[in-house]
Amino acid sequence: MRLAAWIGVFAALAALPFFLGSYHNDVYRKMLLWITLALGYNFLFGICGQVAFSHFAFYGIGAYSVVILLFQVNLPLPIAIVLGIVICVLLALAVAIPATRLEGFYLALVTLALAQLFIVVLNEGGAVTGGTGGIANYRLPPILGWRIAGPAYTVVIVALLAATLAVLWRLDRSWFGRACRAVRDNPEAAAAMGVDVARTKVIVFTLTSALAGVAGMVYAFVDNTVNPPIFGLDNAFLILFMVIVGGAGRHAGAAIGAILLFLLPFWLAPLVGHHHQLVFGALVLAAILVQPKGLVGLWDRFSR
Amino acid sequence: MRKFITGVAFALCCVTSNAQETIKIGVIADRVGVSKPYSEPATEGIVFGADDLNRKGGILGRKIELLIEDDQSRPDISAALARKLIDQGAVFILSMSLTPATQQQQTVTMEAKTPQMTPMNSGDTLTTQLQNPYFWQTGPLGSIQIATLLAHAKSKQLKRVALITDNSDLGQLLGRFFKGGLEKSGIQVVAEEVVARGATTAAPQMQKIRAANPDAMFMAGVLTAENVLIFKAYREMGVRFPIHSSYNLSVPIYMTVAKGLINGVTFVDAYDPEKPEVKAFEAAYKKATGKDPFNLHGYGYDGMMLVAEAIKRAGSTDKEKIRAAMQGLTYAGVMGAKGMKYSFPDGKRAGYDPNGMVVRVYEGDKQGRVVHVGQK
Amino acid sequence: MQDFLELSLSATASGCIYGLVALAYLLMIRPTGIINFAVGEWAMLGAFGGFFFLTRFEFPYLLGMAAVVALMLLVGWGTERLAVRPLVEKGAPLLAPILALLGMLVIFREVISVSFPPDPHPVPYAFEIQHQKYFIIAVTALVFAGAWLFFEKTLWGKSFEAVALNRRAAALMGINLSRVTAAAFAGGAGAAGLAGLLVSPNVSAHYLMGVPLAIQGFTALVIGGVGRVEGALLGGLLLAFAEQLTTRYAPIPSGYAQGVPLLFLMIFLLIRPTGLLRARGA
Repeated sequence: MRLAAWIGVFAALAALPFFLGSYHNDVYRKMLLWITLALGYNFLFGICGQVAFSHFAFYGIGAYSVVILLFQVNLPLPIAIVLGIVICVLLALAVAIPATRLEGFYLALVTLALAQLFIVVLNEGGAVTGGTGGIANYRLPPILGWRIAGPAYTVVIVALLAATLAVLWRLDRSWFGRACRAVRDNPEAAAAMGVDVARTKVIVFTLTSALAGVAGMVYAFVDNTVNPPIFGLDNAFLILFMVIVGGAGRHAGAAIGAILLFLLPFWLAPLVGHHHQLVFGALVLAAILVQPKGLVGLWDRFSR
Repeated sequence: MRKFITGVAFALCCVTSNAQETIKIGVIADRVGVSKPYSEPATEGIVFGADDLNRKGGILGRKIELLIEDDQSRPDISAALARKLIDQGAVFILSMSLTPATQQQQTVTMEAKTPQMTPMNSGDTLTTQLQNPYFWQTGPLGSIQIATLLAHAKSKQLKRVALITDNSDLGQLLGRFFKGGLEKSGIQVVAEEVVARGATTAAPQMQKIRAANPDAMFMAGVLTAENVLIFKAYREMGVRFPIHSSYNLSVPIYMTVAKGLINGVTFVDAYDPEKPEVKAFEAAYKKATGKDPFNLHGYGYDGMMLVAEAIKRAGSTDKEKIRAAMQGLTYAGVMGAKGMKYSFPDGKRAGYDPNGMVVRVYEGDKQGRVVHVGQK
Repeated sequence: MQDFLELSLSATASGCIYGLVALAYLLMIRPTGIINFAVGEWAMLGAFGGFFFLTRFEFPYLLGMAAVVALMLLVGWGTERLAVRPLVEKGAPLLAPILALLGMLVIFREVISVSFPPDPHPVPYAFEIQHQKYFIIAVTALVFAGAWLFFEKTLWGKSFEAVALNRRAAALMGINLSRVTAAAFAGGAGAAGLAGLLVSPNVSAHYLMGVPLAIQGFTALVIGGVGRVEGALLGGLLLAFAEQLTTRYAPIPSGYAQGVPLLFLMIFLLIRPTGLLRARGA
């Protein structure tokens, strides 16, 4: 799509919140955040072939970092953001570098353990993390004298989404993206062609985790609360499901999957209540068995 | 001619139907998640209360319409649902889900200046972490629970006790309050243990407690399966010190899953089956629904009645007037010891009378009699 | 000292449960390389099966136990047919069935969540509370002995090994791959279901009990090594002892003790992913 068209799309997305009620605005924002997360995860899993369950944990690490640095250590906002990103990067490196020696699903398990450990640390963190109750009662400090809230903050989220998509899109198109796909499809052949497989994996993991962390920082000021149940394990699986059902490897797929699986519980609530998870499980199973390319694959098939 | 009459009739209907507009009360409950065992009966209590009031003509001549949403025990959904209810015109929101969910709803209700109340959450921090003048809590606070338990235990001359809880957020919160209360009374906490969700046994924790040789053990946990593990370990270790528990033990499920394990365990409760209001409530509930209620239903019922009372006193559905009315309210409900009233003196927003809890004991497998009242 | 002995007994029993779950993983990983996370949910199914047959319908214990095992064998076989075989036949990459099984995990959990109220459900003991631990240990010993004999002495067991070593060669030698896979899944489900049934009198059957067990079982497997059946049991015991001894004796706040299995998992995966016991002939 042409650049002008893209700008038009994002302008529309940014203008929309000013016309929605507060409830719909809330749902819209969270949906945008999920799309952002799914895009990052799609790059890690769909394009580079790494299964990991820590994506959502980094979302939480970013959120908690910025809140703690801003309100407990009392750093100014820009420094808190930068420091938060640094924390995510360091943590991601600490996990990724040793983990590159592991194949396939073992990385997934290490990251699963990491995600659980994160929750344990949050719960036991006492005054620093707010323990099991989390931290609340804070607000985004004024930036350059302006208080950004309500629909204006949604514009920030749209900007985040646009930036994330831009970064990932460029990377995907570059030789790095090709290297990632090579690593996904056939690591030995990739190595034979001169791709440093380990380094590629580490970079992808660190980059996507940092992006998730930034998204988390933005999230921290959406509900103005962070607590351990929000960042629990259910959502880690949900991201994976979103990408699989939408179509792994394609940005559009990640977006479609995120929108569908995020909104589905709201539509299904009158019918099946909490058990929308059942529908998700069935969708994932169906996707893998019948249409591994996901919904995007189906779309392609029909539009041919 | 006919069209003219139809038109006038239609216009009249519109006008009169406006006057019959309902009073919308939002309820955020957990219908399917982890707190369903508590939320469901309490919500049934609310529904019964609303139906009962509607049968008697409603409030201010208008019927009550309950807008019930399900937050599935997910705090992030909770906040969105609060917004939805406010957009739909709810003048009051009743929070019947987990403590963190209620907390999250508060950020919304504070911003939207909409009255909100939880009749059953017991986390003390709900009224202290956020200064939200539109929020009240009439559930039995953790601090009141431990104070009541301690008053009962005072006669037993406890010097050293053990404290055990689980790693849920409410369990940890109650644990903190219990410890604080114990230490303030000069009782030494010689062992403090946590049973994690998903554990297969509580034996190591119970061994540690046994080694510390306490006079009694206080339980602050709220997860059923883990509490059962604690009871089993207690039996296996062959210890005999008395057990005093938070109000979590008042949930009837323990009578089935902990059969044979809880005889003699004392627990705080907000329900005195001998109270005349309780007897009246139980009879009315049985008559209307054909089922027997238990203590959890009472929380919801009292919540609904409190809201109705506030709206009646306010004389309108203006949120500010309702807020002022609730803050000045005194009301005797189903829950609590005999003669207890809810009230919010001195601008406080936690309305449960500190002397209003009772201590009951399990006799066999049944929830038995009241053995102590209040904090004296 | 008496404390230590008591704790050892308790840790041995817990270790047996973890070992059974680890065995379930192992039975499926060896011939197919598929890591089936749904074993936790299978254990939950076993627990609910126990509730159903033993509490609701009050079968005599051994009959109820047999019914649960039979049910689980069927479930395992069914899972394989539905989620695994079509993918293997299509030649899908190894990741595909693993992900499909994740979908199954959610489906199993939600099916139970829909069919039963969310409170924990009581499951009776085999004898009484004091003797449950011995029962768990005895049953586990029998199962592991059986598994060991199966792999070492029987023709079927050897064919499992052959498939594990080289699928193509095994197929060429006339071993029916899909039958081996189906049997592997059925056996895995049986072991997992048994674990759930044995642990449920203590923890009660509830629909969230699956994931923690799946993680503990997998940690046990990683510690013990995938190569040998005994490894699963060894890993389970080591994990349970580490957990319980840390809780009892370590001078750290109890909340942190939950981190121990997770830390173990991460450390072992990063430092010694093949586990403690090497496969025979490897």
